[in-house]
Amino acid sequence: MATTFTAPKLSSPTFQTLCRNLPVFTPVPNTLSSFSRHRHHYRLQLQQQRRSLFVVRAESENGSEPLRHYDFDLFTIGAGSGGVRASRFAANFGASVAVCELPFSTISSETTGGVGGTCVLRGCVPKKLMVYASRYSHEFDESNGFGWKYDTEPKHDWSTLMANKNAELHRLTGIYKNILGNAGVTLIEGRGKIVDPHTVDVDGKLYTARHILISVGGRPFIPDIPGSEYAIDSDAALDLPSKPEKVAIVGGGYIALEFAGIFKGLQSEVHVFIRQKKVLRGFDEEIRDFVGEQMSLRGIKFHIEESPQAIVKSADGSLSLKTNKGTIEGFSHIMFATGRRPNTKNLGLESVGVKMNKNGAIEVDEYSRTTVPSIWAVGDVTDRINLTPVALMEGGALAKTLFQNEPTKPDYRAVPSAVFSQPPIGQVGLTEEQAIKEYGDIDVYTANFRPLKATLSGLPDRVFMKLIVCAKTNKVLGLHMCGDDSAEITQGFAVAIKAGLTKADFDATVGIHPTSAEEFVTMRTPARKIRQGPESEGKTGQEAKAAAGEFHLRLMLIVNLQYDAKVAGWWKESFQDSFSFISESGLCAMPCHASCSNFLHMSSKKVKIIWIIFSCIL
Amino acid sequence: MARKMLVDEELTQTNPEEAHFDFDLFVIGAGSGGVRAARFSANFGAKVGICELPFHPISSEVIGGVGGTCVIRGCVPKKILVYGAAFGGELEDARNYGWELNEKLNFNWKKLLHKKTDEIIRLNGIYKRLLSNAGVKLFEGEGKIVGPNEVEVTQLDGTKLSYSAKHILIATGSRAHRPAIPGQELGITSDEALSLEDLPKRAVIFGGGYIAVEFASIWRGLGSEVDLFFRRELPLRGFDDEMRAVVARNLEARGINLHPQTNLTELIKTDNGIKVITDHGEELLADVVLFATGRLPNSKRLNLEAVGVELDKTGAVKVDEYSRTNIPSIWAVGDVTNRMNLTPVALMEGTCFAKTVFGGESCKPDYSHIPCAVFSIPPLSVVGLSEEQAIEQAYSDVLVFTSNFNPMKNTISGRQEKTVLKLVVDAETDKVLGASMCGPDAPEIMQGIAVALKCGATKAQFDSTVGIHPSAAEEFVTMRSVSRRITVSGKPKENL
Repeated sequence: MATTFTAPKLSSPTFQTLCRNLPVFTPVPNTLSSFSRHRHHYRLQLQQQRRSLFVVRAESENGSEPLRHYDFDLFTIGAGSGGVRASRFAANFGASVAVCELPFSTISSETTGGVGGTCVLRGCVPKKLMVYASRYSHEFDESNGFGWKYDTEPKHDWSTLMANKNAELHRLTGIYKNILGNAGVTLIEGRGKIVDPHTVDVDGKLYTARHILISVGGRPFIPDIPGSEYAIDSDAALDLPSKPEKVAIVGGGYIALEFAGIFKGLQSEVHVFIRQKKVLRGFDEEIRDFVGEQMSLRGIKFHIEESPQAIVKSADGSLSLKTNKGTIEGFSHIMFATGRRPNTKNLGLESVGVKMNKNGAIEVDEYSRTTVPSIWAVGDVTDRINLTPVALMEGGALAKTLFQNEPTKPDYRAVPSAVFSQPPIGQVGLTEEQAIKEYGDIDVYTANFRPLKATLSGLPDRVFMKLIVCAKTNKVLGLHMCGDDSAEITQGFAVAIKAGLTKADFDATVGIHPTSAEEFVTMRTPARKIRQGPESEGKTGQEAKAAAGEFHLRLMLIVNLQYDAKVAGWWKESFQDSFSFISESGLCAMPCHASCSNFLHMSSKKVKIIWIIFSCIL
Repeated sequence: MARKMLVDEELTQTNPEEAHFDFDLFVIGAGSGGVRAARFSANFGAKVGICELPFHPISSEVIGGVGGTCVIRGCVPKKILVYGAAFGGELEDARNYGWELNEKLNFNWKKLLHKKTDEIIRLNGIYKRLLSNAGVKLFEGEGKIVGPNEVEVTQLDGTKLSYSAKHILIATGSRAHRPAIPGQELGITSDEALSLEDLPKRAVIFGGGYIAVEFASIWRGLGSEVDLFFRRELPLRGFDDEMRAVVARNLEARGINLHPQTNLTELIKTDNGIKVITDHGEELLADVVLFATGRLPNSKRLNLEAVGVELDKTGAVKVDEYSRTNIPSIWAVGDVTNRMNLTPVALMEGTCFAKTVFGGESCKPDYSHIPCAVFSIPPLSVVGLSEEQAIEQAYSDVLVFTSNFNPMKNTISGRQEKTVLKLVVDAETDKVLGASMCGPDAPEIMQGIAVALKCGATKAQFDSTVGIHPSAAEEFVTMRSVSRRITVSGKPKENL
């Protein structure tokens, strides 16, 4: 099986590939095809009885299962992204479907949830709304450079934002309910528990179903350290009653970075504690360096290689965080963004024999089937790639497999994703490190430039872009970007990369001027060529980093461009957008953000470097 | 370098048969196309000279500047002003997100203008250095063609230089043109509009093209009262009709007064401003009247007729697919050829020219699937065919997918403005023929879509791409149900 993860897993601390040991794949049962043969008849029946509940449908089953009547063709536990998608599509294909979900609350628990699930109520949507709100403080700063002035510094009123955000969440949960209702899906409020392979118990009432789908998602996980009861998770962080004055965020994943940006933008003092040297494990190394630096420039304080050991509440109510390096006091809030765990407790899974891995994630085959043939699972509860659009894909594929007689595997190749940090990140395909491992010989194109907006605003904002190209086939293997609009920009390129397009195809596309995105179609010279053989041109990222010592350097190179016209020409070609300053005499300074490898490459070109100014920023 | 100081009339005729020329290439005009062609030719080893008029933000027959329209009087300053103006709407939107701002916000036009000018001066310098670093010799002055292999540069002090060149490239671009109506001298063009001393309180714009709607958005965003007059029913002729209507609706919702199917007939100077009279008999007063009624190629003073370079009736230099004029040693790229007047297209033409002439590789510019953007607020961006073009060219049915949604940001800001996306698909081949979007970030979003369309991506390939959530762009890969199907049989068939 060639399917491997092409996007890093965002919330899980471990990388996985789909090629894990799955139970022997069971072909889709012949009951499906028999079902399909009855579809015509079934549809007629459906038209008459769509709205009536618990209609007993006498479908003959030619397979191993005995003839049996079920309340529903499909019973879905959990009405989040994956569950709603699977249920709606199944109903559209003619199945009778019920879905159960916990009562609405902004904070999830064993007894609360809400139609819409994590994405709508406690994830993507409220998060993005908070990002919008918080981004304004940066925009105010930017606008100064464009001639806008504020007599008094803009102040943020927390309660207005929370009220408007929650009104929007209520509207959305209502919309999701309507979507289900309009599709003819029966919504049952309550906690679902599996009793046997065809029976679900919702708060004491039993429902039978031909197929059961588990799509209960995941929840934030806070490690058990002394004082952890004082910590908040992302659920709570999205619904705080008042602005956190000084907040500690523990974790270096995408959730941690997004909240760091949110709180910073809403004028809190923000400290981020990460276990490793860099944020965003699993992302492209250069992106990790770049985003960390850009966020530091916006005033977020990173504490690297610092693990929390205890939280202490002092008499004045403020919190102190004790780490392996010391104690930092005076936090109003301490947020843990230390991963999420599948919601598989108390679902009755053990008793019916649904197998889970050691993290509690349900093990499924390529068609999202569990070890019990009538029970299926999609979304975060399976801990594959924990993204809303992936859950949608899995739910859609499942509905096709079960009720359209079209066995469909979700396709995990080139799944794009975004981090709504400030600045945001967009990525699709392989990181440089993954590409080297998988393909060996690759060409890496990078651009690190000051966007037009920043030249006027005077802010130190930059944009970093990167294309990873297979040297042999010219295919674009990965695309990474950090800077304004990264998420929006990446989507279109994801179509191109999914379609297997080559660097030549990118080059043949005319740019849209003036945009940031046009840089992706105007990258002419590789920053480095990585070859596995002895005739290697340039160095691999790893070698370069080793050679540069494990420092995180900010290099400022000042080079005399008059030295040699040819070298200067090459330099201009390669770095023309990186200049932050060019003096009349031809001296140029290029902030070489964490590009130690670029530096080595340049040295090898014998550029006459007059001065190298560098400062350790970490 | 053989440089000859010439007395008037004393023109040296260089025999083209002679192997020796002062330059392998002499480029007239250092804008996007000219600079690109010059640099790339030099990189291929050619000896290159280029001439350009002295720098000034407002162009004329005798002033211009290295960088050309895009850098000095087009894309760049325009986008800077759009950024500045977009804050107007952004700040309104901030309130519902909890931000407390003064009722009245101060905007300082002079500061923005000053910073804009600083930026284009900086870019002008960068372009000059790009040329010198590539080894291209830059001359300041007006270039003329005096023979198939001979150019003359009139310098600022009036002295003339004459050079022979194996190839001559005309890359002089274009300039805004004014309609011939009484009082037209009271109006301004986009050049002046980018350098106004004061922000107009009342602005009248005549024209329905992208320049007109961009300035309407800029001035409106900065607080001016804007009236936009155009001849058609909708602005942006040539774009997809549905998207034109979306843009018109957005402009209106942002407070711009639209006057469709209306011409300006006269401008009269009064004490209270410029009195504008329309062909509907309307009268209104304005501080500034902008003519965005088209641009004409800068081909007049090049002495082209004398050497026999053919022009079309608009004055554009006629060229073949390789950008060669009817005189084999003379070539032309960019707006002066009036093919597709976009910076990246001029760059492509310049690159192809250099490859063809000095790179040993015949290279035709490819005009299919060129994306473009209109930086109105919110912007419009398109690639490929409009619905109307697709239907006209179709051999099979055309499927149209549209998505019309309230962007997430507006759910809280309360702004009433829909984002509209559209895909036009060939029903038989499943190929996506065209994509359009009007909404925030549309130009940034469209670039990647353009790569996909350029390579013939199918709707199925769009559908198989996973979305990036939550984004506006993900709508392009989640359009499941067709909005309408246009059958070719619905078209009048001629051979029945």
